[in-house]
Amino acid sequence: MNAIQIRTMAKDFILKEFLPGERPENLTDSTELITDGILDSLATLKLVAYLEKSCGIEIAPDELVPENLNSIAQIANFVQSKQAST
Amino acid sequence: MDFALNEEQRILRGQILRFAQDKLNKDVRQRDRDQVFQRELWGACAQMGLTGLPVPQAYGGPGLDSLSTAVAIDALGYGCEDSGLVFSICAHLLACVVPIWKFGTEEQKNRYLPGLCDGTLIAANAMSEPESGSDAFAMQTRAEPHGDGFLINGTKTFVSNGPVADVAVVFAVTDRAKGYFGGITSFLVDRALPGYLVAQKFEKMGLRTSPIGELVFEDVFVSKNAVLGGVGGGSRLFAHSMDWERACLFASHIGTMERLLEKAVAYTRTRRQSGQAISKHQAVAHKIADMKMQVEAARLLVYKAAWGLERSQSVSLDAAVSKLFVSESLVRTTLDVVQVFGGYGFLSEFDVERAVRDAIGSKLYSGTSEIQRNIIAGWLGL
Repeated sequence: MNAIQIRTMAKDFILKEFLPGERPENLTDSTELITDGILDSLATLKLVAYLEKSCGIEIAPDELVPENLNSIAQIANFVQSKQAST
Repeated sequence: MDFALNEEQRILRGQILRFAQDKLNKDVRQRDRDQVFQRELWGACAQMGLTGLPVPQAYGGPGLDSLSTAVAIDALGYGCEDSGLVFSICAHLLACVVPIWKFGTEEQKNRYLPGLCDGTLIAANAMSEPESGSDAFAMQTRAEPHGDGFLINGTKTFVSNGPVADVAVVFAVTDRAKGYFGGITSFLVDRALPGYLVAQKFEKMGLRTSPIGELVFEDVFVSKNAVLGGVGGGSRLFAHSMDWERACLFASHIGTMERLLEKAVAYTRTRRQSGQAISKHQAVAHKIADMKMQVEAARLLVYKAAWGLERSQSVSLDAAVSKLFVSESLVRTTLDVVQVFGGYGFLSEFDVERAVRDAIGSKLYSGTSEIQRNIIAGWLGL
């Protein structure tokens, strides 16, 4: 799975689950998901569950940090690095 | 899809049931009255493998799969009338032993798991604080870097097993700016460490044989090797623990409900009023029919959630649904049993009033019913 595919997948999921009715262009690769409150604690866990299942990765407790999940770009980088290490 | 227990699970269920009925129920009424936690009973449960059910044999446990773990706890709840003891074992196992097994370093697993499984060590999970209950991540306890480790300061409350625990899984803020993900870290803190204080033990409505209380940490120094699940990993670790607790602790309540159901059937078939057994009165029989419906549905929900713990998919939604249904069914069942027993149900010697007192907490611990509904709503995208 390349970075573009991961970004598209993550964006679609976030729009569908957490931003119903939002215009897709308003969610950019750099939109701050956690610090802007788009992802609360439960939403973050839901996103992580989705990434683990869809991308075949396992996210360790200390990897669940804003540095890895605070934007679609960061999510794509993180998922790619996880895939590369497995 | 097969709804039957396999041969191993049937044998396991039978063994635990007989053990609990033979060894754990003596003087339970008196123990409840005196709020006595008996370490000998804990040791007996450990010998049966109950304090380490899913832990691999290499670390001293029986190595059961998650569904068999739920089957075992269901059997314990059926056979053991001391709900406080069952609660203590489950709190130790599901919120402490499981996270060490799942997220501990090899050194942590080797150091703690054998003792936690064989009964020489008791563990407590220290999350809630006086000012943060359901809003658990508003915690004030902090762990600040100090030398080669951390200094922990804060107060934890409603700590199950807190007064008797040898080691606590303590959650503390390590980086407030990061918030709940990345900012909370869990630590394995030994009771023997300077500054680890066992404060008040609570007097409670129910689960009186389970010691619950406050722990205070005053400049407790822990080395970096005490970090469980990595710095900043506390929230995920806690969420994982709650999945196990919501799925498996509540298996014990299925056993309790089944025992109460059988008790209600037996009582109402022999107790006569107006010239016939009270079971022949529809008002009574319908209550018992509802109990049967609830225990059957509860078992399916619990077993499904427990089965899911070992699958790649998140079990959080199933665990919340199961926890909510089981706890509310348990409270309803215990109240209905008192009702069908009539005045006798109000007396301590018939034991069903204790079941009510023990049941009420189930709608509060592991996240209140309201929190479970929030979680379910969140998973539905509401």
